[in-house]
Amino acid sequence: MLKPKSDVLQGTLALLILKTLARGEMHGYGITLHIQRVSSDVLRVEEGSLYPALHRMEQDGWISAEWGMSENNRRARYYRLTATGRKQLAEEEKNWARLTEAVASVLQFAR
Amino acid sequence: MSLLSRFKGLLRINRLERELDDELRSHIEMRTQDNLASGMSPDEARYDARRRFGNSTLMKEDTRAMDIIGWIETIGQNLRYAARMLRRSPGFTLVAVLTLALGIGANVAIFTVVHAVLLQPLPFPHPEQLVRVYDDIRTSNTHDVGMSVPELWDLRDHSGVFQDISVLFPADANLTGGDHPERIEFLGTSPNYFTLLGARPQLGRVFTAADAQPGFTLGVVISDAFWHRTFGADPQVLGRKIRVDNDLYGIVGVMPPGFRHPGRTLGGDVDMWAAAGYSAAPFPTPVIRAARFLPGAMGRLKPGLTLAQAQAQLDSFVAQLARQFPDEYPAAAGWSLRLVPTQEDIVGNLRTELFVLFAAVAFVLLIACVNLANLLLARSASRRREIAIRLAVGAGRSRLVAQLLTESLLLATISGAAALFTVIWLKSSLLRFAPAGLPRLNEVTLNPAVLLFAFCISILTGVFFGLAPALQTARAGQIIALREGSQSSGASKHQLKFSRFLVASEIALSLVLLIGAGLLLRSFWHLLEVRPGFEPHHLVTTKIWLAVPNDPLEDPYRLPEKRAAFHQEILRRVSALPGVEQAAIGNAASLPMDARHFQLPFAIENRALDSESTPAAEIASVAPAYFSVLKTPLISGRFFADSDDTKGQQVALIDETLARRYWPGSDAVGQRLRLGIRRNQASASQSPWLTIVGVVANIKSDGFDAASAPHIYRPLYQVPTYDGVVYVRTASDPGSLGEAVRAEVQRVDPTIPVFSVRAMDFVLATYLAERRFALNLIAVFATVALLLASIGIYGVMAYTFSRRTNEIGIRIAMGAQRTDILKIAFAEGAFLVGSGVLAGLLGSLALTRFLRSMLFDVKPSDPATFASIAGLLAAVTLFACFIPARRATRVDPLNALRHE
Repeated sequence: MLKPKSDVLQGTLALLILKTLARGEMHGYGITLHIQRVSSDVLRVEEGSLYPALHRMEQDGWISAEWGMSENNRRARYYRLTATGRKQLAEEEKNWARLTEAVASVLQFAR
Repeated sequence: MSLLSRFKGLLRINRLERELDDELRSHIEMRTQDNLASGMSPDEARYDARRRFGNSTLMKEDTRAMDIIGWIETIGQNLRYAARMLRRSPGFTLVAVLTLALGIGANVAIFTVVHAVLLQPLPFPHPEQLVRVYDDIRTSNTHDVGMSVPELWDLRDHSGVFQDISVLFPADANLTGGDHPERIEFLGTSPNYFTLLGARPQLGRVFTAADAQPGFTLGVVISDAFWHRTFGADPQVLGRKIRVDNDLYGIVGVMPPGFRHPGRTLGGDVDMWAAAGYSAAPFPTPVIRAARFLPGAMGRLKPGLTLAQAQAQLDSFVAQLARQFPDEYPAAAGWSLRLVPTQEDIVGNLRTELFVLFAAVAFVLLIACVNLANLLLARSASRRREIAIRLAVGAGRSRLVAQLLTESLLLATISGAAALFTVIWLKSSLLRFAPAGLPRLNEVTLNPAVLLFAFCISILTGVFFGLAPALQTARAGQIIALREGSQSSGASKHQLKFSRFLVASEIALSLVLLIGAGLLLRSFWHLLEVRPGFEPHHLVTTKIWLAVPNDPLEDPYRLPEKRAAFHQEILRRVSALPGVEQAAIGNAASLPMDARHFQLPFAIENRALDSESTPAAEIASVAPAYFSVLKTPLISGRFFADSDDTKGQQVALIDETLARRYWPGSDAVGQRLRLGIRRNQASASQSPWLTIVGVVANIKSDGFDAASAPHIYRPLYQVPTYDGVVYVRTASDPGSLGEAVRAEVQRVDPTIPVFSVRAMDFVLATYLAERRFALNLIAVFATVALLLASIGIYGVMAYTFSRRTNEIGIRIAMGAQRTDILKIAFAEGAFLVGSGVLAGLLGSLALTRFLRSMLFDVKPSDPATFASIAGLLAAVTLFACFIPARRATRVDPLNALRHE
């Protein structure tokens, strides 16, 4: 049994998805794999929150979706960043940087 | 998410559902594949792939919540939850529904009437083209002076404004030939009246232009009510002859039950329509411009012509006529024509009254809303734990607001439905309270417009009283959830501030209503103090009317002496009846508080006519005993005597108003005047000079609130009229005196109907009742408002003090006197009441001017009313906060501190 190591922090999921999609279009399963692999298994995206998030982002116009064929010839829904999505990504990256900086300085100060 | 994409979503639901399934399946398959590749058994691989989704239905629901299905389901959930909450606190629900149902019901009821009377177009094709034409004499500010036949022809043929124009000549007549003579109401029209309106009969035909005659057309159309009453709805009624004022008419058509003449009538509904050309007997001949005997006309404007355009064209047409006939239209008279849309004309000044009532009920609803909002706020304090828990388990704030809002909308909708059913149920009994003069009441129905109004007002109400508390509660809940998540302390400071604001606005709204009611009440008092100029107790009046046949040879009373003899004989017999102290007789114009009286122009001897304004007065003919029967005092000179007859000197009496206006500071007795104005002094049709023999006190003939009109009285035996009113002064209660008078009159001439037998006391009471209608309603609304406001302030103050039990306990323990505590409480209450009253006074100043036309002898900004009502409201509301304050001072300091 695999135990989830660390659930993706609430609110950062969107950022991670956007960033992943910035490399090119991808289906939902690919997104979970990518995040898990790139974070060396530290971050895991729960399927239960991935799809609601994807749909929300699609409704908000950050990403668009289309049916396509996967590497091994399977029908899959591919997600792609839209222009709005790109802007949103830049925005969220900035926020994230600010947050981590802030947390870091607090940690340093405490030391 | 926009609403549009939601609805698009609704259309896509099936496809979306399928796509979602496909997508998840593809995900699971890919994961299974990878699992297999990493060496799991097929079962294990599939199980793991599925397990990662956890509860896949739940996830699907979360995904779908983004879409319309979810949206609708959320609403359903909210509704179920709301219904559960309302069921759980039946006391609150009942109070809320009752308060709201009262407010919404009052609004729906008034709207139903406003819609039928003011908004709904008249039930005729192109009702916007229908106008009433009035003749005015601008210089003497006299309206509606009547029209002459040549003017009617000019309007019809040369004005270029009307498609069609018809005379409106409301009259009544004697219907004989049945068991007993009857007085019926008929409307003299032109032959095109029905085609102008676009109205069809239910039986037979209407008259048309083909029926045109110089005098009366002998085929008449009757109303449905008259058909039922007199002919038992006999389908063979067409062709039946009826004798009206001794003339034989044949019935050619019956109008349907819904048809009403769109305009004022003498009393009730029109029984019979008769067309005439108004240019031969029984109408005055020759046809001259000066004979303005037509009361008015109704026209249908040419298509595409606006009212303003039509009025402008008419103005220049009038100017052209005045140039063409300078003798008939002297500049001094300032003759002009005025167009009023028929829709407005029917309603007249009741329009203001209805709008004021509508505003009043809107205020009541507002106050009810504010009160309920406060109640919800207070309740939210006790729901703090529930809300904190819901927030803690992850309910979004917007979801919470939606939830709370659903509760208030559900409340409002239930109340709206209750109100609507009550209004439907009570419709006929409610209509009985409506003032008698309200037109088009037969058109009051529950139609889609009313239902739509009820629905919209319910939803608006729900949002209005629910939104602010919902936002407040959700915010407060969030704070509490973060801070402690318990139920301990009361409402947040912010929330308390908000509920104080609500109470202050409630006080302000109530004050506006109360001041409105106060102004109307004061007007009514003033009205009661008006001296009518006659003694109404034990005074009975009955009308009699000699027939005016079209053929003079059919008229047994065509000689004035015959009419005078008839009147004298009636008077002799009635005076001899048991219980009669004294009796008199006069013409219809002499009857106070009756139908509208007209003012007619007159000229004064040795005064230039081309002055700024033409003198005008109401003119009545009365028998010598008239003033003593009415107990109207003589100011100077003498009353009429029996010797003032056709053979004697031509004389007149005037009243104080006229004497003051034209002979200020000098005695009018001995001066001469004559009726009508002729520029050409040598004209043969000149009326004789009348010598003024006396001045009498004013009689309020047009109602108490009308300005005193000047009067000229002529001796009845000198100018005997066809119309008559018998006045009887009795020693005690009149009882069935009317029957005795009827018997005497019919002993003299069995063809004469005796009608409108009334005790003057009763006439005055009815008149006042009509004036009181709006006052009663608004007073009720204002009282409800005062009550709600008091409850509101009591609730808030009680709540504030219960929260401050600790503080008060400490203060008392530290040695504060109870009066000190009371002072603090009073200061807080006074601030609340003071700001509410101030806002209310400002609001009243801005709004009461709309009441102006309903006020009598009171200014809309009457300082006495404003001050006294504001004082009353302040006293009541301060008392309401005094009770909880006093309770707070009784706190036992030990108990209070233990409370911590």
